[in-house]
Amino acid sequence: MQFFGGSEISPSPPVPTATGNNAHMMYVFNRNGVCLLYREWNRPLHTLNPQQDHKLMFGLLFSLKSLTAKMDPTSADKGNLGVPQLPGQGCSFHSFRTNTYKLSFMETPSGIKIILVTHPRTGDLREPLKYIYNLYVEYVAKNPLYTPGTSIRCELFNTALDQYVRSIA
Amino acid sequence: MIGVGKIKQYSNVLDKPLSKGKQEVSLSAFAFLFSELVQYNQTQVDNIAELERRLEDAGYAVGARVLELLCHRDKGNRRETRLLGILSFVHSTVWKVLFGKVADSLEKGTEHEDEYMISEKELLVNKFISTPKDMGTFNCGAFVAGIVRGVLDSAGFPAVVTAHFVPMEGQQRPRTTILIKFAEEVLQREARLG
Amino acid sequence: MAPAAPRSGDAIFASVERVNAELFTLTYGAIVRQLLTDLEEVEEVNKQLDQMGYNIGIRLIDEFLAKSNVSRCVDFKETAEVIAKVGFKMFLGVTASVTNWDADGTCCSIVLEDNPLVDFVELPDTCQGLYYCNILSGVIRGALEMVSMKTEVTWIRDVLRGDDAYELQVKLLKQVPEEYPYKDDE
Repeated sequence: MQFFGGSEISPSPPVPTATGNNAHMMYVFNRNGVCLLYREWNRPLHTLNPQQDHKLMFGLLFSLKSLTAKMDPTSADKGNLGVPQLPGQGCSFHSFRTNTYKLSFMETPSGIKIILVTHPRTGDLREPLKYIYNLYVEYVAKNPLYTPGTSIRCELFNTALDQYVRSIA
Repeated sequence: MIGVGKIKQYSNVLDKPLSKGKQEVSLSAFAFLFSELVQYNQTQVDNIAELERRLEDAGYAVGARVLELLCHRDKGNRRETRLLGILSFVHSTVWKVLFGKVADSLEKGTEHEDEYMISEKELLVNKFISTPKDMGTFNCGAFVAGIVRGVLDSAGFPAVVTAHFVPMEGQQRPRTTILIKFAEEVLQREARLG
Repeated sequence: MAPAAPRSGDAIFASVERVNAELFTLTYGAIVRQLLTDLEEVEEVNKQLDQMGYNIGIRLIDEFLAKSNVSRCVDFKETAEVIAKVGFKMFLGVTASVTNWDADGTCCSIVLEDNPLVDFVELPDTCQGLYYCNILSGVIRGALEMVSMKTEVTWIRDVLRGDDAYELQVKLLKQVPEEYPYKDDE
């Protein structure tokens, strides 16, 4: 894959697990629950307005994270249900699958959350999500004209993201 | 005591040996610092022209220091006195020191005798940038234009220097051209030198 | 899939794109000069440099996490070590060490062996109260806040002010858990 100006994103993109246009949508949230980015490629059904949709997605992850950590049979470091955790604390889930879609999730210790919703048969997307995080770092965090906490309108990021997501899912 | 012995103390900065310029920092460290320069200056202005002017001012200070350093280090305090000499000094020596490479091209303006252009496919300061639509033609290259003006001015070649995006055929990203328009006195002096 | 091990500062610094430190140093000098002109009061310049550092810190943390493979920053002691050993190295190419831990492990010093911000700098008499490198303390404060640690960062020693090293004290005030950001009735 060619990026503009030959600038190298490290690590280089992981090998695609599938090809075709299987991605439905993607969200990026920051640690304050602000939806920095929402993209959709193939989403036939909308039932909520965008704000409600983002809020519901964030709420789903927030609760699920707390529940999965609480049910961890191997670790004592689990806190109490309902008591908020530090990002990176406890175990963390990285995907779930229903009969109609798969949701892949990544959270960084800085609280950036990347969610990609794809076809249920998509493989492991942990490495691709890491790569998307790298794209975020290069083209959003380092863009002098981007103000942290605002929605992402960086054309370099959007183009690179679009190309990449089409190549993996 | 900690850390003693590693840092030598000099009572005066002039006693300190001038660094050889081989040290490096990560490009990201520079990118973050530069971002903050832009963000801070955005809070100080109310239009794009003013923002570019302030970035150019910051660059000017860098350019003036760069000339001092390079003349001292590489040229035994000799300075270029001819127009083409100073232009090639900027395009190669200065560029190499600051950006790690010689600039992509140096051309003479076709329409005006007093204009020269240094172009770069991807200028370091524009590498991570996406300019929002509402900022129109804003170009962070104003900082580099300032550096160039700082070098030229301090070497006795006053000029007006500006940065422009130039669309390239077959390329998604435009290149950046630094346009140098020399002051009249510079051209007159050059003509006298023959 | 086992999580990738954190990478060493040297390995990261060797693998990333780098620029001549002079471009960085002179650009920083130009920023300080601009602030001195705009704000006039040295105390205000100190504050602004700290604020700018904070703004950098909240962005830079993501670059740090993405490149270093550090997947959790929960323990303050570990985090301080990682800042010194990996953080300073991967961004500035210099090493730092952590010392002077207090008894509860919530306060320590980071000592810099080298500091690329200050080449060519000598404080003129008119700027004696200036903390020239104040941006660094802001960066640490901002970056740590993004990994849930509220800290206070202060200069203990500064070579430009006649000390024998650069020493920053980092004090953990509290760890802030993530909160559900929406109210139920929203």
